[in-house]
Amino acid sequence: MKCRRCGELAQVALPSHHTGFCAPCFENYFLRQVERGIHEHKQFTKEDKLVLAVSGGKDSLGLLLALTELGYAVTALHIDLAIPVSSENARSTVEAFCAKHSIPCHILEMAGKGLPIPEVKKKVNRPICSVCGKIKRHWFNRYAFEEGFDVLATGHNLDDEVARLFANTLRWDQAYLAGQGPVMPAEGRFVKKVKPLCRLTEYETAVWCFLKGIDHVLAACPYSGGASFTGHKKLLADLEERSPGMKMQFYGHFLATGKPAFEAVVENAPPLKECSDCGFPSSQDMCGVCRIKRLLES
Amino acid sequence: MVTIVMESTGERHEFRKLNTVIQLLNKLKLKSSEVLVIRGRELLTPDREIGTQGEIRIRHVVSRG
Repeated sequence: MKCRRCGELAQVALPSHHTGFCAPCFENYFLRQVERGIHEHKQFTKEDKLVLAVSGGKDSLGLLLALTELGYAVTALHIDLAIPVSSENARSTVEAFCAKHSIPCHILEMAGKGLPIPEVKKKVNRPICSVCGKIKRHWFNRYAFEEGFDVLATGHNLDDEVARLFANTLRWDQAYLAGQGPVMPAEGRFVKKVKPLCRLTEYETAVWCFLKGIDHVLAACPYSGGASFTGHKKLLADLEERSPGMKMQFYGHFLATGKPAFEAVVENAPPLKECSDCGFPSSQDMCGVCRIKRLLES
Repeated sequence: MVTIVMESTGERHEFRKLNTVIQLLNKLKLKSSEVLVIRGRELLTPDREIGTQGEIRIRHVVSRG
């Protein structure tokens, strides 16, 4: 297979685009897709104060390098979950990457916040992935808000978005379907959230990391066995193989047609309250994260 | 002999001859969008020939949490 742009031997085949690229042309393509996602959805500009949630995996570190190469000034924010071995590896990977590329990096330690994930796992009778996700979302937003950032970016890619859309559609969850997309506007103490990798699959982010020599965490979280998203991704990969481009179509048409319809339905949802403990938005008197913290303290 | 190394598990497979990457992926029951097929410092597209010797690394790309 030849590179579509320059005719050299291709290293990457992209059936959904009916094309292939050599290494330099793929890097060019990748950066253009990130830039297009940012502009198409009006995610942020070079004037915005931007913080990126970084786990140490390929997507967030790949995005961090891409945004830096595109000329955006980004601060990296990593949450140390206090999971033995796994969290130490993730943290040292992030710190080494940021030091190498001179990117400012802030670490939030969940043990210091009274929320070490191994202890949370012992006390909570729900799937740990959803609880951990809730804690991370709360602290990423809280840090971004308290430190005066305009935009909080995450490394969610097209596969993540499509798997989430599929899960929300299976449940016809109107509120979640109304709220899903590559941009969540700022509201009260919620900082604007964006997903600049929304046009790129995880195969493409993995290729980018390989070609750029990014040293990222390869091991899975030790608590992630049986997570439902993994099963959904397998189903969607089968569909994509039979109909290349299906993922982008499913997501693109949802954003254009489905999301506005769901937004109209949930327009009159009751407003969120302020958490009695931390003051951040909550559907109940006390937010879920403060309730977990109370549970651990009891 | 062609040696295949699965990066996630360290598992190794040996084949006398492999015609193409797609043949290898079929033997391992993998999709081309699920893995990077790495030879040395380059990535191989599904149509690339493999031949009778060398080492190939397989890196899974799907996040597992």
